[in-house]
Amino acid sequence: MGASFIQVKSLRKDYQMGEVTVNAVNDVTFEVNEGEFVVILGPSGSGKSTLLNIIGGMDVPTDGRVFFDQTEITNYNDKQLTKYRRNDVGFVFQFYNLMANLTAKENVELATEICAHPLDIDEVLDAVELTSRKDHFPAQMSGGEQQRVAIARAVAKNPKVLLCDEPTGALDFKTGISILKLLDKINKTMNKTVFIITHNASIGNMADRVIRMRSGKIIENKLNSDPIDPERIEW
Amino acid sequence: MSKLNLRLFRMITGHIGQFIAVTLVIAIGLMTYVAFTMSMINLENSVELYYDESNFADIYVELVKVPERAVKEIAAMPGVKLAQGRISFDVPLKIGDTDEKVTVRVISEPEAEDKVNDVYHFDKGRIRNRSKDVYVYRTFANARGIQVGDTITPQILGETYNLTVQSVTSSPEFVYLMENEMSLLPAPSRFGVVWVAEEFAMKSFGMNAYYNQILIQAEEGQDVERLMNRVEDRLERYGVRRIYQQKDQLSARIVHEEIDGGKKSAQTIPFIFLGVAAAIMGVMISRTVRNDRTSIGVFKSMGYTNGQIMWHYTKYCTVIGLVGATIGIVLGSLTAAGMTDLYASQFFSVPYLRIRLYPQYMAMAIVLSVIFSIVAGLWGSRGVLKVHPADSMRPEPPRMGKHSILERTWIWRYISFSEKIAVRNLLRVKKRTVFIILGIALTYSITLMPMFQSSAFDTIFVDHYSKFLRMDYNINFSQPVSEHAVNEIQSLVEVSDIAPKLEYPFQIKSKWRKKIVTVIGVPRKSNMYGFVDTNGNTVDLPEEGVFMSEGLAKLLDVQAGDLVKVETFIPGREDVFMPVERVIKQQLGSNVYMDLSYMQRQLLDDNLINGVYVNTHDPIKKELQNIKRVASVQSMEDLVNIYQEFLQLTLASVGILIVFSGILGFAIVYNSTIMSILERRLEFSSLRVMGLSQNEIFFILLRENVIMTLFGILLGIPIGTAMLESVMAAFSTELYSLEVEFTWSHYGLTAILTLIFVLIAQVATYSRIKRLDFIEALKNRMT
Repeated sequence: MGASFIQVKSLRKDYQMGEVTVNAVNDVTFEVNEGEFVVILGPSGSGKSTLLNIIGGMDVPTDGRVFFDQTEITNYNDKQLTKYRRNDVGFVFQFYNLMANLTAKENVELATEICAHPLDIDEVLDAVELTSRKDHFPAQMSGGEQQRVAIARAVAKNPKVLLCDEPTGALDFKTGISILKLLDKINKTMNKTVFIITHNASIGNMADRVIRMRSGKIIENKLNSDPIDPERIEW
Repeated sequence: MSKLNLRLFRMITGHIGQFIAVTLVIAIGLMTYVAFTMSMINLENSVELYYDESNFADIYVELVKVPERAVKEIAAMPGVKLAQGRISFDVPLKIGDTDEKVTVRVISEPEAEDKVNDVYHFDKGRIRNRSKDVYVYRTFANARGIQVGDTITPQILGETYNLTVQSVTSSPEFVYLMENEMSLLPAPSRFGVVWVAEEFAMKSFGMNAYYNQILIQAEEGQDVERLMNRVEDRLERYGVRRIYQQKDQLSARIVHEEIDGGKKSAQTIPFIFLGVAAAIMGVMISRTVRNDRTSIGVFKSMGYTNGQIMWHYTKYCTVIGLVGATIGIVLGSLTAAGMTDLYASQFFSVPYLRIRLYPQYMAMAIVLSVIFSIVAGLWGSRGVLKVHPADSMRPEPPRMGKHSILERTWIWRYISFSEKIAVRNLLRVKKRTVFIILGIALTYSITLMPMFQSSAFDTIFVDHYSKFLRMDYNINFSQPVSEHAVNEIQSLVEVSDIAPKLEYPFQIKSKWRKKIVTVIGVPRKSNMYGFVDTNGNTVDLPEEGVFMSEGLAKLLDVQAGDLVKVETFIPGREDVFMPVERVIKQQLGSNVYMDLSYMQRQLLDDNLINGVYVNTHDPIKKELQNIKRVASVQSMEDLVNIYQEFLQLTLASVGILIVFSGILGFAIVYNSTIMSILERRLEFSSLRVMGLSQNEIFFILLRENVIMTLFGILLGIPIGTAMLESVMAAFSTELYSLEVEFTWSHYGLTAILTLIFVLIAQVATYSRIKRLDFIEALKNRMT
């Protein structure tokens, strides 16, 4: 294996909140290889979301550098960042954030319409087991189904990396596990690098790499030699 | 359809009420634009065409008497294309009802092949029997039910003639049929025009081989003003009573003013509506963008550019603009055809219409609408640029709550809790509050306009015919006579007051400005006129010097104390300089007034009068019917009645304007309230959880809207008053002096109407509150 797929070097992010400067991420360095399943663990306010947003080109750091597939994204301008988000990254959010007035399939198409090499939408919907619900509006679907649509929307773009911010945070245990299985499947069968950030430590057991954060710093970065099947996770 | 467009489409269908409300405002604006522009152009073209085809005279000369030979000389002058003499007199028409006085202008029809002011025939019949046949002007014929084959009986110099109607006609000279400058409103059943053979006219009026009018058509490219001066010099010895150009011809001038007024409306009203629509759209989009913060973040996370997202929202406005424009153009085009027709046949009389659709104005309407919409959309969606994709995923921090200044005053202690919530909400989102208050102020101002307009006309006429003109009857003699005629009239009818008068046209000149007006002489001690100067003081005519009406003084740039030159058309008399003692208020018409004996001495002959003013309780028309020397008897009551008929028409247009402003107010308040409900879903849901009913939430919103409405109305009073004053100034001419008294009843009525518009809008939003699913709103962060 050559140079790492994602390299984060001495990353720092400060926020200005009124007169106070809040340090959200401080001197974070790590590397991730292509196809890895990465779980970033940490309590609220540990800086994990900020880190994910910077890797996804949604936010820019105060200091430090991020390389994606050997290209530095931290010196991208707005236009380049937009293009990066469009073609290389897929986002999954805790609250799904679907467009309420578009059906499941239309929500997916909304993403694929603007990217360079989308996957076949019906195949993706089939993969997330939503073929029968594709013409339903978000309000007609359960939380788990909505999250599947959100995952389909992120995957259908055919991105190189999938960034998931607390994807099971709003779901019950059983549905949460099914979403994790789906993400695992995408990682294994489609060879997509997947990031999950969560405060649920059990999810770390299914990852190839677990990064623990606290107060903006990495306190542990370890490879998991024996990731377990999502079915066996419990919390 | 791209999915972004699909989202847009569903945004529109999901909030169709808002969409319709704004679309209507645009549609009204552009309908007015298209209707007024096209109908005015159609009318202008039709009139121009008519003027062209009928050889409409460029110069009119009214004389005491001019021989045929002199007319031939004029025709031979360089620069003159056609010159024709004719005989024209106003005479009474005998009708069954002796109480009604009907005047007809008898005009001789020249024999020449190429006729100046050629009449247009609606029938095939022509004058064959030169001493019995007559043409009748259409509007008059319609008003009196006169048809081809009927007999009419004018009285010429005391003799009654039975004339057979051969054809119903129209004339470029009477596109707008009015007896004279003093009448101001057409009264087609009381004044008409008939054309007779020249031979008959000469015989019956005792004008053998003489005329009293010459119509001249100038050659193409001639300086008409200079030609007119040359003609005047040439005709001096025949006693030129008046000479004027086409643009000063009564009908031509009114038609021109009407078209100009219409064009002015086409350039103002649409912009008010488009501006308001743009403001509503801009605010609506900016609030939608704020509500859609998370969605916009998602768009950005998917790789949509700022431009794409802004255009997505701007397209919403553009669609409104396009739909509004389409509706406006269709309705406007239909209205334009109807309006042209109405103007050309009801208001004016133009025999043939040149109605065309003008694609350039339709295109202009679309361009205007799209520009306004795009600007509104871009302005409204500029907030997209500020949405940071990472931040947008987090809930927005609550808005700062602050104590307002009001809370530190004693008032705060006396208002209820829910009123406190309302006040605080209004102060917290100041921009929105200001927008709605301004919108309501505008609605108020626009509603105020027609209110005053209707009463402005009312005031004008009541003031003019009861306060300014104090006589009951204005009697005109067919020719100047000695003052003894007063005794004669007194012996015929019972009068409580009678005054001799002189009414004669003169040209008033001050520096290079000049104007032909009727100069009126009455005994200075008579009570026939209620003169009031510009300071509001009641004044009496001076022994020497003149009073000048305000409009004329403005036109000639004359102030009290100035000297003006009174140029006479009477042969053998010199022009006279006279001091203007006072400028007086006169709402209708332009005149100069002076003491009768001063006028006789300075301008005419001692002891000469050409009419009397009479105050009486008796209907005197009957008694004067057969008096040879009486040419016309004008009753002030009749004039007021004519006005009453005219008022009915005005009221209809007033109603339309009020409906328009109602829609404007509705759109502003409805859209704002709907946006408030959407924005405050969480707040209202929390209130519902706390146990407030849907009605109580409705009343919170209602209370806020009513508070804003009250402020809007307060602000609307000065704005509306200023708008009215500028409109009055713009529409006042030297004929018309629009001056209104601002009465509280108008302001009050407008306030009530505005409040009704707001309440209707508020009630329309009730279903939204009913539909508010508070549990869903509380647990869901979906957009």
